Amino acid sequence: MALTQVSSNKCCGGYQKVFEHDSSELKCKMKFGIYLPPKAESGKCPVFYWLSGLTCTEQNFITKAGSQQAASEHGIIIVAPDTSPRGCNIEGEDESWDFGTGAGFYVDATQDPWKTNYRMYSYVTEELPRLINSNFPADPEKMSVSGHSMGGHGALICALKNPGKYKAYDATVLAASYSGPELDILIDQGRDDQFLSSSQLLPDNLISACSEKKIPVVFRLQQGYDHSYYFVFSFINDHIKHHAKYLNA
Amino acid sequence: MDVYGLRGPLQAIAEEMAVSEEEEAEGDEEAFVVVRKRPVTSDPAASSDMYCSDCGTPAHSGQHTHHRVVPLPDAVQDMKAELGKSHSRLTEKISQMENFASNLEEIFITVEENFGRQEQNLEQHYSDVLQTLAQRNSENSTSLQDQKKQKLEALYGQLLACGSLLDTGKELIENAQELHRCTNRNAFLQAVMPVIKRIENFAKEEVELKVGVSMEFTTPPVDLTGVKQMMESINVVPAPSAPVMNPQVVNSATTSSLRVCWSLFSDDTVDFYQLYCRQISEDITIEMEQDVSVRRVKETHCVVKDLLPNAQYEFWVTATNTTGISPTSERAVYMTVPSPPIIRPQECLSCLEAALVRWDSGNTNPVESYTLELSEADTHSSVTESIVAIPTCECLVQLQPWKRYVIHIRAVNIGGASERSPPITISTTGTFFPLLKETAHPSLSVSPDGFTMFYLDEDLPISEMVFSDSNFSSCVAVLGDLIPIRGQHYWEVEVDEWAEYRVGVAYEDTQRTSYLGANATSWCMRHIRTPSRHKYEFLHNGWSADVRITVQPLQIGVFLDYERGILSFYNAHLHQHLHTFTCCFHHYVLPCFALDKPGALTLQTGLTTPKYITHP
Repeated sequence: MALTQVSSNKCCGGYQKVFEHDSSELKCKMKFGIYLPPKAESGKCPVFYWLSGLTCTEQNFITKAGSQQAASEHGIIIVAPDTSPRGCNIEGEDESWDFGTGAGFYVDATQDPWKTNYRMYSYVTEELPRLINSNFPADPEKMSVSGHSMGGHGALICALKNPGKYKAYDATVLAASYSGPELDILIDQGRDDQFLSSSQLLPDNLISACSEKKIPVVFRLQQGYDHSYYFVFSFINDHIKHHAKYLNA
Repeated sequence: MDVYGLRGPLQAIAEEMAVSEEEEAEGDEEAFVVVRKRPVTSDPAASSDMYCSDCGTPAHSGQHTHHRVVPLPDAVQDMKAELGKSHSRLTEKISQMENFASNLEEIFITVEENFGRQEQNLEQHYSDVLQTLAQRNSENSTSLQDQKKQKLEALYGQLLACGSLLDTGKELIENAQELHRCTNRNAFLQAVMPVIKRIENFAKEEVELKVGVSMEFTTPPVDLTGVKQMMESINVVPAPSAPVMNPQVVNSATTSSLRVCWSLFSDDTVDFYQLYCRQISEDITIEMEQDVSVRRVKETHCVVKDLLPNAQYEFWVTATNTTGISPTSERAVYMTVPSPPIIRPQECLSCLEAALVRWDSGNTNPVESYTLELSEADTHSSVTESIVAIPTCECLVQLQPWKRYVIHIRAVNIGGASERSPPITISTTGTFFPLLKETAHPSLSVSPDGFTMFYLDEDLPISEMVFSDSNFSSCVAVLGDLIPIRGQHYWEVEVDEWAEYRVGVAYEDTQRTSYLGANATSWCMRHIRTPSRHKYEFLHNGWSADVRITVQPLQIGVFLDYERGILSFYNAHLHQHLHTFTCCFHHYVLPCFALDKPGALTLQTGLTTPKYITHP
């Protein structure tokens, strides 16, 4: 697959780049952001996949989250794909903000007219890693997944559905039936997150399921924080450090 | 004979010998030359090159056929050898003479000195005797003078008395005569009777006609025994003068013996010394003086044995010879070396960069200071570092990480240093600390090994609990004795599944009446158990972060980093990070442990901080 570099900016000693390619899963052109730390110039680095939330593109995370500093320090490549296929001209895809464009939910659609293009789960778990491993100095044995909001959910299901791949589609259900190598999950939740207060987020269920199955989770309820990228920015360092513990071991 | 004069001739002989040596050396050359020259003159007679040893002359003719004849060079060699022997014999004699001469010199000087002293002695004695005699003389003459004065006074008194009597008598007689001549009969008759009366009375008076004072002079007996004694003692060797005690020499004492020395600063003859010894008791309640022991010693030093360690002894000495005993010397105090200290391993603390060693003095009385000796255990080098002048029974010593050290302590006083204490081995691979049992709440008991804490089911009634200033009174808690070093420290706590506990750190002066985490002087992780779930709090100043943990940690790793101001908690089995407090520790903190309900906690110290924490 041919990769075209869209942009490159030096940042924290490494490079924040954006590439475009033709996706075979999603049958359209897809962009992704990739941060290459200074260590990547001399050797292979582990890869941290970041899955963004509803309405985001590959740009939001790389411009707003401030992850480059920690990635540079720990020597980790950060790949941030887009949140859904673009320009497929499927009817109804732009009607709502939380369905269709920008709302891939990191699942593979099973129904028409979506099932041809909306295969974000396969894209993120198979096509993208293959692409990254063959075009960049990435260590194929070391990858981890994380995300915010819809992406957080995506990260959980990717990990739970692929035991051992990363140091369902409903994370809670998946957790309830997970059996595989030990995970170590870190979740931060803003207490003032409006989705939490409107019960769209149900962390207690996940916690109960994980407690039941003895899946190690540390869930932190952060006083005063909301759902925005300011929240992401505040805790991204802790998360990269958490991942680095396993990626750099 | 003048000894000095003898040296001159001896010197001259020596010089002559040296000169003759030189001459001989020159002679050698000449002889050599002569030998070489010989062939040139080529005497046809071969025998002219020969020398007859028997006759001692060159052998020109055949006279010497039966004599021992040797070639001339050989003869010369023989002669030289003989000359050499005589030469060395003479040199030996000369050196003997020189030794003898210097010996004589010394004796000469010594004799001069000794006689000089004897002269002085004699002079002194005689002048003493004379002084005494003069004194006696003046005493006696004074007494005679007094006697004389007394007698003269008495006589004079008598004289006066007689004189007055005479005067009175004369007066009466004149009166009577006058009266006798009186022509007036009436007046005569009037006056005559009293006058007659007076004369009669006067005549009746007894007159002492004896001399009241004896004419003899009593000379007091002259007591010259003292003088006699003095005269006799002139010929006798004087009693010695008082010796002088030497101060204690460094490193001459052991825990049970002292080497006591003294000196005599005069050349008095001494037959033996008597050394007196008395222990000085530090205990002021002992009123009685300790017993004095005496030893008879021939030399000017003595090793006194069977003494107590770290004790002071008073010594004084007298010198005795046939004449008598010298006055006693001044007293000197010597001290035995202390007993070695005993290290208390259960109270020693350590971390990667330092150790705090504590010990018992090992002596009932105080010592001056302690010395700590430190060497690496695994290397074969005998390099030992010493820290001296430690005033108390503990010492904080800086160490290198990842090594094993052997430490000994010695006690030091003015007598010297004790033997080494039994050692303690310290490994600088992690932080090691014991619990401070005196801070424990009365309901918190500690296992005999000192690392498991129990809160047993039965609460003691409050009346039976003993509270002090240092122990916790509400929270069933205890503190740990962490070494005061601002580095990184790590320890683990093993917890029961059902235990409700608080583990963390607190300032040493954290309020003992309050609960851990409820105030600004403590930080802790708290576990609360409800029938349905586990609840975790991370408490400081009464406030907690909201954290849910799905897998109950049964082994909690606590990591403290003063530099970065962080206190972190981990599930040590899963290497899972639970929570981190970021705080600026103004003072040193101590680990703290508490049980809110009956249960048990076990502390593990001395562990190396796992890599996932130091190198994430």
